[in-house]
Amino acid sequence: MKCVTRTTFSLIFAIAASSAVFLVASSLLAQPGPREDAAQKLSASAIQVERTDPPEGLVIPEDFRVSTYENVILQLEKTKKFQHVYRSGDRTAANVSDLVILRLIPQAFKEGSQKKREVSTVSGSTRIKVKVQFTTRDGRVLLEKDLEGKVRFYGENLRATYDFSKKVAAVVNDSF
Amino acid sequence: MRTCGAQLNQRSSSYPGQKVLWSWWLAVWFAFVIVVILAATGAPAFGRQATAPPAAQTNSIASVTCVIGLEDIKTDAKGTLSLLPTGLEFATEKKKTGIATASITDIFVGNQSRQDVSGAGGTVIKMGIPYGGGRLVSLFSHKVEVLTVEYEDSNGGFHGAIFVLPQGQATSFKNQLVAQGAKVSTHVESSTVEEQKP
Repeated sequence: MKCVTRTTFSLIFAIAASSAVFLVASSLLAQPGPREDAAQKLSASAIQVERTDPPEGLVIPEDFRVSTYENVILQLEKTKKFQHVYRSGDRTAANVSDLVILRLIPQAFKEGSQKKREVSTVSGSTRIKVKVQFTTRDGRVLLEKDLEGKVRFYGENLRATYDFSKKVAAVVNDSF
Repeated sequence: MRTCGAQLNQRSSSYPGQKVLWSWWLAVWFAFVIVVILAATGAPAFGRQATAPPAAQTNSIASVTCVIGLEDIKTDAKGTLSLLPTGLEFATEKKKTGIATASITDIFVGNQSRQDVSGAGGTVIKMGIPYGGGRLVSLFSHKVEVLTVEYEDSNGGFHGAIFVLPQGQATSFKNQLVAQGAKVSTHVESSTVEEQKP
């Protein structure tokens, strides 16, 4: 009986050990090599956020536009990727050599209702879709992405702009 | 007789429909009691319309929310918005900041509605009410006005501050600021709810 137990134990141990070795080896093989985009990371000492300017035909309430702009500035400052975050029209930004300009171009907007959201949970969402463009001072596009801010369940409509700004910050963290 | 009574009790307690009915009544009463308590405390104003005269020339409004946009003031800070001869001033319990009339480039007034029971605490209360009773509480809201003030700092940097005021107060503030010399452009009113694409 003792012999059987010892044999069983050693068998289980061997299976477990080989499984562990297999798992470690396979995970090491599955590791991606050095990221290509890591080498392509952008660098700039300062960024200037331009005002959100919707194209003709797209009406966005001014509080949404202002909230988007202000939230993006707050979140960019939180990333600590830039020595200075300049506002649109700031004259002191003219002296910065490697300035990156962030343009926010709204693409679509749907204003929902907080009451509808909380009562029905399926309708009343607020969405704002914005094209985010990082350009140089001379207008060369460094990076361009379409991002969407939304509030689906709880929270006021303006929270969609906060959601959007968090996504902008995530893009900055990945790309700078 | 005793046996018959015991049987009746057993039958009534095991009747599943009655249990569900009893639970529903309990949930409805629970929601009702919470609504009554909240209404009695006067913290939220259920379905209340603004009672203040809309064109009142008030120079100071308490419990205004600064959503975003003022230097040194946290987002969603509550405080008092005052109209001074030099411009707007927003004061919380700890800090005070202002916008000079000369630096204002545009002013917008919009309408929104706010839930009477909102915030983290309100959300927890709503979620705590069984059988979706929190949705009943979500039906109660009140209208507010949103005052958006765009201004420039000393370097020419664009700022925008958003204040949430009781209904009827924002227009009065805007008019007084315009009378002081604040710049205002003509605006396109947006009242559409459908998704818009250019």
